[in-house]
Amino acid sequence: MEKNFIIAGFGGQGVLLAGEVLANAFMLDNKNVTWYPSYGAEMRGGTVNCEIVMNDSEDVSSVNKAQADYVLALNQASFDRFLPKVKSGGWMIANSTLVDEVKKRSDINYFFAPVTRLADELGNSKMTNILSLGVLAKISGLTSLDTLEKALDNVLPPHRKNLLPLNCKALKIGYEYDLSAVKV
Amino acid sequence: MTECLTKSKKVLTKGNYAIANAAVIAGCECYFGYPITPQSEIGEFMSGKMQELKRAYVSAESELASINMVLGACSTGAKAMTSSSSCAVSLMQEALSYAASDELPIVLVSVMRGGPGLGNIYPSQGDYNQATIGGGDGDYKMIVLAPSTVQECVDLTYRAFYLAHKYKNPTILLADGLLGQMMEPVEFGEYPYPEVDNSSWALSGAKNRPARVIRSYAPSADDQCEFLKKLHAKYKLIEEKETDWEEINTEDADIILVSFGSPARNAKSAMKECRKMGLKVGMLRPITLSPFPSKRIAELAQTAKKFISVEINMGQMIRDIKLAVNGKVPVELLNRPVGNPPSVEEIIERIKKESEV
Repeated sequence: MEKNFIIAGFGGQGVLLAGEVLANAFMLDNKNVTWYPSYGAEMRGGTVNCEIVMNDSEDVSSVNKAQADYVLALNQASFDRFLPKVKSGGWMIANSTLVDEVKKRSDINYFFAPVTRLADELGNSKMTNILSLGVLAKISGLTSLDTLEKALDNVLPPHRKNLLPLNCKALKIGYEYDLSAVKV
Repeated sequence: MTECLTKSKKVLTKGNYAIANAAVIAGCECYFGYPITPQSEIGEFMSGKMQELKRAYVSAESELASINMVLGACSTGAKAMTSSSSCAVSLMQEALSYAASDELPIVLVSVMRGGPGLGNIYPSQGDYNQATIGGGDGDYKMIVLAPSTVQECVDLTYRAFYLAHKYKNPTILLADGLLGQMMEPVEFGEYPYPEVDNSSWALSGAKNRPARVIRSYAPSADDQCEFLKKLHAKYKLIEEKETDWEEINTEDADIILVSFGSPARNAKSAMKECRKMGLKVGMLRPITLSPFPSKRIAELAQTAKKFISVEINMGQMIRDIKLAVNGKVPVELLNRPVGNPPSVEEIIERIKKESEV
């Protein structure tokens, strides 16, 4: 089985870091995983994205995929850009604080969650990325909250370890967010 | 990032960090470099780690300086390296020719970006010719290793140090911007090769022995003839002993994809998909680009009906494939000039088209 994810948003929203945490979680689950960023002359405030390919059968994953099983869009520009890339039957998970809840395609699943507002309520809007990662992980059902917490611990450098409890809290809020609002 | 020097545990890391970390484990004593995207993480890692381990790290004033510092360090028998990218590797060509002539075990990591000229920072394989043919003067050959995964970035960095010292020959690890920036789980383990004894030639100080000279100069035509014959006997030996490649499903294949580095990943997936559709497709991935697996490709040309070279350039490796195939069967090109490799879908499409002809 192979599943691929695109995480996209503004430069500075932490999309590369969220992707790295997810990739780390898959590694801890003993799956093959490949992470790669959109690469070019990127800047803070511009759009940035990364792709994660998880695989439990092949030793080497292909890259530069035409479509994705899951897209996590943290801003409107990313939503618009990656909507056509979602596989038929795949998922578009979007940050409804910044993205209009419009469903242009009828062959995919949508989940809108106000992740930036939830992060604000937690007291730090910088937690948007990790909170939304919790939502994404829960919907995919491909890794556990416990593994993601260990992955966070792997990824945060020693001088940022003080932020681990807050990140774990954000992850939990996302992971336990009420999915009953999902309309398939 | 410098704390990732874990030998036993699996870690998720970027190709660039994997190369740098592996070089440290391989015993690299000196790193000289100048930053350039998309390989700057190598120098960043080295700037912390080498000082921590009391080894030499010099942030050189230019690439010209850094490669010549490597020559100097290697002439003392030290394990030394530099890393750079495309337009800056161009600056090093003179020194590579001297290193080949002086038989110095230098290791150069070249993480390709778009060219010619300043080009851009997107992934590319436009320096296949630069690495395998070389831009310096004279009849010399490099050893060129091409990783395709982050784990191979580790394994082939180890091999680069070993082969460079075993054969006293400049060795290039040729990666691309995609591999440099890509993260995958890797295991470093221990440096798997024996240490090479260099006591017979290294400039280690002439106390209690006659002084030695390493120089690139043969005063007479006869001397130079002898030297070149000796050098090329070495290249022949390297070709016989060290040529390496990965080969899948070639036995009964009508079409054989040939691809190295990051596009080889997509070629492999496309080949497997085509097999599911009943198309007889195989794949050969050169791991050493120099020496090139020409002999094996010539053998396969006896049974295959067509070869397709999959590259991120305007078609460079295809020339070596054609030389090996020697007109026996057609050799086609599926390329992307620069940027991400051709997608799996694109490769499948092309295989289908070529199967119909």
